[in-house]
Amino acid sequence: MSEGPLSDVRVLELPGAVGAYCGKLLADLGADVIKVEPPGGDPSRRIPPFFHDDPHPEKSLYFFAFNTSKRSITLDMAAADGRVLLRRLAQRADVVIDSFPPGHMDALGLGYEPLRQGNPGLIYCSITGFGLWGPHASYKASDLIAVAMSGMMYLAGFPEDPPNRPYGDQSHYCASVQAAAGILTALLHRDRTGQGQVVEVSMQEALAMNQETAMQYWDLRQELRRRQGEGRRLPSGEWFRVPGIGTYECADGHVYLMIGVPGFGAPISVLIQWMAEEGMAGDLTSPEWQDVFSRLDLRLLVQLYQGADVSAAQEWLPRFRHVDGIIERFVRTKRKQELYEEGQRRGLLVAPVNTPRDVLDNRQLNERGFFVTVEHPELGAAIRYPGPPYRLNGTPARIWRRPPRIGEHNREVYLDELGLTEAELASLAGAGVI
Amino acid sequence: MTTDNLPLAGIRVADFSWFGAGPIFTQALAHYGAEVIRVESQIRLDGLRITQPMPKDRPPGINLSGYYNNFNAGKLSFSLNMASEKGREVALRLIAKSDIVAENFTPGTFEKWGLTYDRIVQVKPDIIMVREPMQGLTGPHRDFAGFGAVITPLAGISYLSGFPHRPPVGLGTNYTDYVINPGHALVATLAALHYRNRTGKGQLIEVAQLESSVNVISVALLDCSANGRVQERQGNRLPYACPHGAYRCLGDDRWVAIAVFTDGEWQAFCQVVGEEWTREERFATLLGRKAHEDELDRLIESWTSQREAEEVMERLQAAGVPAGVVQSAADTLDHDPHLKARGYYHYLEHPEAGRTAYDGPGFRLSATPGGPRGPAPLLGQHTEYVCKHVLGLSEEEIAELVVDGVLQ
Repeated sequence: MSEGPLSDVRVLELPGAVGAYCGKLLADLGADVIKVEPPGGDPSRRIPPFFHDDPHPEKSLYFFAFNTSKRSITLDMAAADGRVLLRRLAQRADVVIDSFPPGHMDALGLGYEPLRQGNPGLIYCSITGFGLWGPHASYKASDLIAVAMSGMMYLAGFPEDPPNRPYGDQSHYCASVQAAAGILTALLHRDRTGQGQVVEVSMQEALAMNQETAMQYWDLRQELRRRQGEGRRLPSGEWFRVPGIGTYECADGHVYLMIGVPGFGAPISVLIQWMAEEGMAGDLTSPEWQDVFSRLDLRLLVQLYQGADVSAAQEWLPRFRHVDGIIERFVRTKRKQELYEEGQRRGLLVAPVNTPRDVLDNRQLNERGFFVTVEHPELGAAIRYPGPPYRLNGTPARIWRRPPRIGEHNREVYLDELGLTEAELASLAGAGVI
Repeated sequence: MTTDNLPLAGIRVADFSWFGAGPIFTQALAHYGAEVIRVESQIRLDGLRITQPMPKDRPPGINLSGYYNNFNAGKLSFSLNMASEKGREVALRLIAKSDIVAENFTPGTFEKWGLTYDRIVQVKPDIIMVREPMQGLTGPHRDFAGFGAVITPLAGISYLSGFPHRPPVGLGTNYTDYVINPGHALVATLAALHYRNRTGKGQLIEVAQLESSVNVISVALLDCSANGRVQERQGNRLPYACPHGAYRCLGDDRWVAIAVFTDGEWQAFCQVVGEEWTREERFATLLGRKAHEDELDRLIESWTSQREAEEVMERLQAAGVPAGVVQSAADTLDHDPHLKARGYYHYLEHPEAGRTAYDGPGFRLSATPGGPRGPAPLLGQHTEYVCKHVLGLSEEEIAELVVDGVLQ
């Protein structure tokens, strides 16, 4: 079996959900990631959904998603023996991932400085809501708070609704991706110098790039990007959609169309031709409309989108509504996969708004063997997981093993690797330390 | 701008990528000391160079886009006409002197230029080649058109985000272009560099943007695979926290996010709010609050809407309740005292765009702090430098390339 690119790296991942995806990225790349769980299991094992909806710490699908390829030990850091064990484990580790609030590990005597004694190459990664210092460093953060403070939430949703939180703890993914990149950058520094250091990730900063161009619009033009929902609104509040650009209802859900933006896929005439072939183009094939479409260039589109030119908008809105109505009627007669495959065959930028099931059934992903079926013998089930986000031809990333059960590797880590005796292990278990 | 002490000093990147996901990935390499050479051309402009926002009240230009500039700080720009045979030869010479080559064109473009992995390995055996196609280098949808706006719905993110009574319009941005896809490419590349340090071997990395993006809905995929459930949009709510949402505050489109997970946080919340309804028995437990969530949200908003978002955040946080202003870009850039104290945004002087803001790195290293080391390059600004000092060409050779229209 080939090895991952990080097969020489050992990581201690401390409890918590925020950094779990970071640990997974490193583990799937071949690092030996030991997840340190409090006795009874990591708090994220309580997060739904559960396998067959049975709320049991060994059945959290949420936990499974973020913990492939890791080993698990239990350890109570509140106990003196637990802290001794953690120090010993850190002596043998290359990386520690800590997603406790600032100061938590220091207060236990387990922060970067004590842990690096005797192990100067240690890379200590802290992931917190707002970083280790600054006026908000002690603020409590959950995913919702982080996406709100980052600026990305302000851009999502409809103007008449509250701003939208993105699905699925995106702050954990973003902070974890940045943390993994920071750890590996520090590892490259260590390859050269032997020296470790602290990697600091603030969820707020990790997410900030997701504002797309909002920061630059404010910086360069003093224009505030706001959430638009669907289509665009004029300063008057009037709603419009440039025909062929946006989310359309179809026979079995929705599709996203981005047709007619110069430089991106085939022009709108190709869509009209398609509609005409099916007798659904209305009057859009007439020379009058051809002329109208030929005037819709990028400059005009940008003007209309920015709502700067109100008179142009007034001139164009009735035309847009007419064309949009015809497109809406056509799209409603078709299924999303049909619109996707046939539209793309014609060079049109069309995407289905895929449900999770559609994603699992996606032809491209399946023909490329993207999904990985992972056996869970204890559950008597096999579950399909998304494969790694990248393919390395020399040292593949892969799901090396199913997510660990609570303390599954206590014996091999404590006995075989740390050299505790059976009697010591029994004492620690009896005292509730592991 | 010495990079000697930075972790990636001495690493050279031949960066053929364009738009968002590619250049943001190589930007992180530049932040930490790599020499990143953007290979560009007037003949085939990076679309972001001509995309808004550009400075107000000035005619647009190819060096003015904040969209482009923010992703290319501290890089070199080398203009090279890949449509010419000689241009492709020069490209191969540049790659031979690089550690990493990056591209995110439609599959087939690099092949058309003769820049296959096999050919590249001949001139640079330990190269790390990073390719970021939309859907992958193989498969039935390989040639489908797309970019970030299309990936968000395709990857299932749009369907799951937002309020259930609204159509699935996504997140208002090309979400995975900015952290997820460039970040995944970065992680794989850094891992490959570490492996090269150990073994001397390079490799080919393929980051199919769809595969990378699908990872961020992994929980919904497992739920569907194991339980047959298709998750639906939940708005801002969570099954195991209440209240959990954004609440209107005083002012124009001002909101505060509040997330209460534990009984302790709920009691602290009630202490701060102090209204009669906070003492009602039906709100005392999570299940009680979930059962009356619509009404609870209305009551909370009747309290927040009388107050400034910042005030609500500060009072709740002081009591230990997770809360945060739903900040706009004006807030993050100009008002947030925390981001300001930490210097997250960097202001750099650009020869044409003036003094403008750039995002700082997404992670910080205590011993080797990185960040933007200069503004974004003008198109072709470093062509002569690259010809002379990287490729080692003589004045005569450079003149000949200019005359032949290769360096445009």
